[in-house]
Amino acid sequence: MLDILVTLLLILGLVFFLGGSIGILRYPDFYSRLHPAGKLDSLGLLLTMSAMALYTVGQWNLGAVLAAVKIMLIVVFVFITSPTATHAIVDAGVRAGMRPWTRSKEGSEHDLAA
Amino acid sequence: MKRFALLAVLLFGALLVYGTTDFPDWGDPSSPAATHVSPHYIRHSLEETAVPNIVTAVLADYRGYDTMFETSVIFTAGLACFFLLRVFARKAPDSRLYRHRATGITLRIEQGGRLPEGAREFERIDSQWVPYDLIIRTACRLVLPFIQLFALYVVAHGHHSPGGGFQGGVIFGAAVILYAISHDLRSTLQMLPERRTVLMSAGGVLIYAGTGLICLLLGAQFLDYAALAGILGVDPIMARSHGIFIVEIGVAIAVMAVMVSLYYNLASVGRFDEGL
Repeated sequence: MLDILVTLLLILGLVFFLGGSIGILRYPDFYSRLHPAGKLDSLGLLLTMSAMALYTVGQWNLGAVLAAVKIMLIVVFVFITSPTATHAIVDAGVRAGMRPWTRSKEGSEHDLAA
Repeated sequence: MKRFALLAVLLFGALLVYGTTDFPDWGDPSSPAATHVSPHYIRHSLEETAVPNIVTAVLADYRGYDTMFETSVIFTAGLACFFLLRVFARKAPDSRLYRHRATGITLRIEQGGRLPEGAREFERIDSQWVPYDLIIRTACRLVLPFIQLFALYVVAHGHHSPGGGFQGGVIFGAAVILYAISHDLRSTLQMLPERRTVLMSAGGVLIYAGTGLICLLLGAQFLDYAALAGILGVDPIMARSHGIFIVEIGVAIAVMAVMVSLYYNLASVGRFDEGL
């Protein structure tokens, strides 16, 4: 029963990781690529790490529970740092004057550098 | 000439590859490395040094000389960067930028001018625009204590798990650099001045070499920590374990200070005035 749950969570997490990777490759510009990179990786990490924590908790003793808590701490810290890093990268892109992608050929009408 | 260089590179590359054919097989139990010292370390390191992690025992005890000079190599790298980059001639910048803390309005003050006395609500910012970002600052302040705690854990837990002085020192130095990136160089320099980083990098090497010297003065060989048993008040085997720990602390201090000093020099191009 636990094994099925763990496998399900792992596969679901890998699906999100795969979506994130495809998004990074396929999206048209810098800003939109950060969207899958930031969001899907966080969710994929949450799912895969929960699967690992559940798997370790499977044999119920103090060491296993401590290991599971440490694994979940990884998730907590990544949930704090990953959005911050994405935010900082977007900020740096705006500062450097990068324009967001639009459908029109000659780029955006709005001047970001102002 | 270029063709000759390419030929030389190819020739020596081929010689090197040919040389590897004389290597013992991967994991060969009868290779010289696996027949003399390795079995001894594997069988006896726990009973001789009371350190469960064989790597730590070999690194800091059996091959203490090697690690001592590795630490001095890191110290030398820090010194080299210092001498190459550090600029001592103080040149006043053309203008300085100050930001009003409450409203975010920025003032530019040309050379020669100054802020009025008592204008405490202004803070100096870098002329290349340091991002004042509440999100980044808050997140970094939230994470920093945990990074530093983890660094200390890695140093202290090197006896039992992967880790030790080098790794813990690098993590601690990275924490200081993260503070410098998320805030600015001046506030980091107030917290950890340049003089202190240089003194700490020399002091870390001194802790290592000094431990060896104390062993020498106590009548044992250089870096033979068993001689410290009398000072530490434990039996010689535990003294070796404690000696390894003392040495690891020295390594951690040296590595941390060198990392931070390298960052200071590189980020401010040796001027220690404005930087990331």
